[in-house]
Amino acid sequence: MVIGRIKIRVPSVIKKGEVVPVMALVTHPMETGLRKTKDGKVVPAYFINDVDVFYGNDRITHCDWTYAISANPFISFYLKADKAAPLKIVYKDNKGGVYQQSVQINPR
Amino acid sequence: MRRCFFLKKMVLMLAMGALAAGTGRGAFAAPASVSGIQEYKQNISTQEYEKRYNAVYGKFTGQMAEQGNPADFMLDDGKDLFKKVEGTTGKSCASCHGENGEKLKGVAAGYPKYDPAIKGINTMALQINRCRKENMGAPELKYESYDQLALELYVKSLSNGVPIKVSIDGPARPFYEAGKAYYYMRQGQLNMSCAICHVKYAGHMIRANLLSNNRHHADHWPGYRLKWGKTGSLQKRFRGCNKKVRAKPLPFQCDTYRDLELYLTYQANGLPVAVPGFRM
Ligand code: HEC
Ligand code: HEC
Repeated sequence: MVIGRIKIRVPSVIKKGEVVPVMALVTHPMETGLRKTKDGKVVPAYFINDVDVFYGNDRITHCDWTYAISANPFISFYLKADKAAPLKIVYKDNKGGVYQQSVQINPR
Repeated sequence: MRRCFFLKKMVLMLAMGALAAGTGRGAFAAPASVSGIQEYKQNISTQEYEKRYNAVYGKFTGQMAEQGNPADFMLDDGKDLFKKVEGTTGKSCASCHGENGEKLKGVAAGYPKYDPAIKGINTMALQINRCRKENMGAPELKYESYDQLALELYVKSLSNGVPIKVSIDGPARPFYEAGKAYYYMRQGQLNMSCAICHVKYAGHMIRANLLSNNRHHADHWPGYRLKWGKTGSLQKRFRGCNKKVRAKPLPFQCDTYRDLELYLTYQANGLPVAVPGFRM
């Protein structure tokens, strides 16, 4: 399983000014750091702890995550589509990994 | 071909013994219990089960499945693997089965099925490995490995929406009966059969779990499970349920599991194929 693959879903047709749902999925093991292997070794914590969402040049939302989020986390939120601009989601994990993807929002 | 000897002997003896005693050879079309097993009456209808499911858990799994099933990534990879040239003959699956698998549309709805070449039940996972070995000269994929599941998922997804139509007539019948015998065989330290939980007590709570009836068990695998945190196959689920009653799980794609898969898929006849699935 490749870590940090992202899928962002937005409606295919968007009217200008409309409030649309955005859904995003990312692959990540989200290890809590509390789990042990069968031979008793602690599995080190490894999880996404920072999510940024940009719409054009504006940062429109931000999440601080902890190990309490499930593996392969899913987020969804609403966006007021008032301009043609890329929507970019950036995930950062506690080991310095950065994963990002953008989709173009083109309201008509 | 993989076998699981100790069980196979027992189960087939059961089935064959009853065949010989009861209806005799060739009388495969005989109704119901050729194997002498009296199947339990379904304890709960599927509609009633779904109502109860929604009352207990709510609708969130259904929503998650639609909005963000992590198995979708695997599906994309499966599509790429389908077109990837591998092996000594320099071919990909697409070379023989169509650029986007056009020739395999609807095929998965008829699997598992009897195949005279292996004198047993052919599952989709097995067929893909046979094609790799015999037609591509490529190594077989390890069962339950990422690539194996991805290919199986992709090929099955070509049949999404097609009603499952598994045949148990003719030579498939004894294998179906063997699958049924396994389903009704008590096993493990807890001495329970699959059928006790999934037919007789379906719809009841077992601790914090609501027991499902077996009508919908085989239509949505490979699927993503939250508990696993990844995508797995129906046979991985079998192994989980074996362990639950402290019975010994069997190897993937061994003959008993393939018979069991035939039995369960037959229960799902008429339902559309719907992969990838999504479960708790
Ligand atoms: C050299 C050509 C060739 C290649 C390459 C090949 N196959 Fe096949 N495949 C066949 C033939 C021949 C059959 C048997 C004919 C039949 O039953 O329709 C078959 C049968 C199948 C079937 C069952 C079809 C049915 O109707 O039951 C599936 C599924 C399948 N192949 C999948 C694959 C996949 C997945 C790959 C890539 C890993 C692959 N094949 C690669 C030639 C090929
Ligand atoms: C102790 C009770 C118990 C026994 C015995 C048992 N299971 Fe299960 N099984 C469960 C529970 C609990 C679940 C998860 C909730 C559900 O869907 O019923 C489950 C789920 C499943 C699923 C997934 C259902 C779905 O909707 O995806 C399959 C398939 C399955 N079991 C097959 C079997 C088979 C085959 C056997 C016999 C080897 C078996 N089970 C034996 C309790 C049991």
